[in-house]
Amino acid sequence: MTIADLEHRLGCTPLVPYVEATLAGAYTSDMLSDVMAHAPEDSVLITLQGHKNTVACASLAGVKAIVLAGQREAPDDMLAAATAEGIAVFASSMRQFELSWRVAALLGLGVPPRF
Amino acid sequence: MIPIDPNASPSALLELIYRLKVKDIMTGQVKSVEKDTSLREIQRIMRENKVSGVPIVEDGRLVGMISVDDIIRALDQGYIDSPAVVHMSRKLVVLEDDMPVSFAISSFEKYQYGRFPVINRARELVGIVTSRDVTSGLLLEMNRSLEEMERVLNLQASPEPIGQVKRVFLVQQFDYENAGRASTELKKILQDRGVDRALQRKAAVASYELEMNLVNHSLGGRLIFHIDDEKATIEAVDQGPGIPDLAKAMTEGFSTANDWIRSLGFGAGMGLPNTKRVSDEFDLQSTVGKGTQVRAVVHLKPQPGDKP
Amino acid sequence: MTFDQVLEAVSGEPAYRSSRWATQTVDHVVTCDLMSDVLVTDHDEILLVTSLPSDQVARTADMVGACGVVLVNGKPPQPSLVELCTHLDLTLILSPLGSFEASWRLGQRLLGRV
Repeated sequence: MTIADLEHRLGCTPLVPYVEATLAGAYTSDMLSDVMAHAPEDSVLITLQGHKNTVACASLAGVKAIVLAGQREAPDDMLAAATAEGIAVFASSMRQFELSWRVAALLGLGVPPRF
Repeated sequence: MIPIDPNASPSALLELIYRLKVKDIMTGQVKSVEKDTSLREIQRIMRENKVSGVPIVEDGRLVGMISVDDIIRALDQGYIDSPAVVHMSRKLVVLEDDMPVSFAISSFEKYQYGRFPVINRARELVGIVTSRDVTSGLLLEMNRSLEEMERVLNLQASPEPIGQVKRVFLVQQFDYENAGRASTELKKILQDRGVDRALQRKAAVASYELEMNLVNHSLGGRLIFHIDDEKATIEAVDQGPGIPDLAKAMTEGFSTANDWIRSLGFGAGMGLPNTKRVSDEFDLQSTVGKGTQVRAVVHLKPQPGDKP
Repeated sequence: MTFDQVLEAVSGEPAYRSSRWATQTVDHVVTCDLMSDVLVTDHDEILLVTSLPSDQVARTADMVGACGVVLVNGKPPQPSLVELCTHLDLTLILSPLGSFEASWRLGQRLLGRV
């Protein structure tokens, strides 16, 4: 999947202009220490934590895009930091569970249900 | 020597030594004398008042101190009739009446004196404090606090009108071991009374948010429940620090939580707004320096104007 | 979804099975590590998926009437958490998966494919 899919196929609202790129995975967490330690590179981070520190942790982990769950906005300093780091930031009214499920589908994860 | 080590004392004791001021524990009625008073006269005063130190003043301002040791030396060396001003200790360590008792304790540790004169902002002598004053002052205050706690707990023993329940819980700052216990009890009471699950949840959430606020942000306080067939009332009353900006506190996302509180999964600034959201009646009062009172009511029987 | 299906989806181990293990239906899942946000939940009997191993998880879950908790990231729970879940009769399942994976697997089981 690509970063643009977050906007066009998931209906997330971009909060900063983004550069299109492929996403290799995803990580869901609201604990920044956890993100810093375990989020995979080239992934999209699904989180509630919409502030500047999120960008710092994302950058350290090599996260390429952040989707803020259950929110519509983010503080200016977070968006400025994200732009400087080249990390895309999106807002979604969906919450972490639904976002994880939908992003997984876009990543082609999971097997068809048994009948 | 005061056997209180600020690094190893229980938090209730620490809270007291920081909250109590020197003026709360000192002896206010101090026998002081003018600087030209003879040492013999001072010796008589010590004997009659059973004190071991007499402050020397000039126009009400503290200028020196005569101790029993000074008297003994004077008797020994034959100058007992000299005026105090000649022999008094002038380099005095004094305490200010507004200082927390913790300062007094540190001073006793540091200087090994048996007593300290206490002055006010105008440097007037207002009292004297000995190490015994510290220990008895603390004991008195602890006793008073315990009596207050017992009085509050005894409220539960008084007979309740049938169908009504009242519970009072004391909640301490940073007490994460017990945090949430009161709200769990509330939920259980409602469950036992057969209250609808959705209403149980509203009341439990309101209570829990208030309880966590007491633990995370207050200096300690009480959670009080009144439950009858019509409604569940939850009151959170604390003894400080008070909320400076009530409007801000009611804004979603506003938080004064530190990193530690956030790392426990709290402090996203949803507490008070969420409490209001789930309640049918909500009232918040606060005075900085005094404390905060929050009252949340969940109607157990539908009333006009209730939210769905 | 039943708890047995939840267990399978998250490759989990039950640390405590509540009295309603066999009869409970899971209709709604909340994935969240911030307990203050969980308290804003409006659904009853949710399944909470979280990486936070603290006692407050159990208390928060109980407050919102959750039917169970899945603790992810393979974190071993404190004995006090298991005790508390037992006391509150709240199912506790431990999963070695991360939040993202546990969530989408539960999502596919509960909601099917997108």
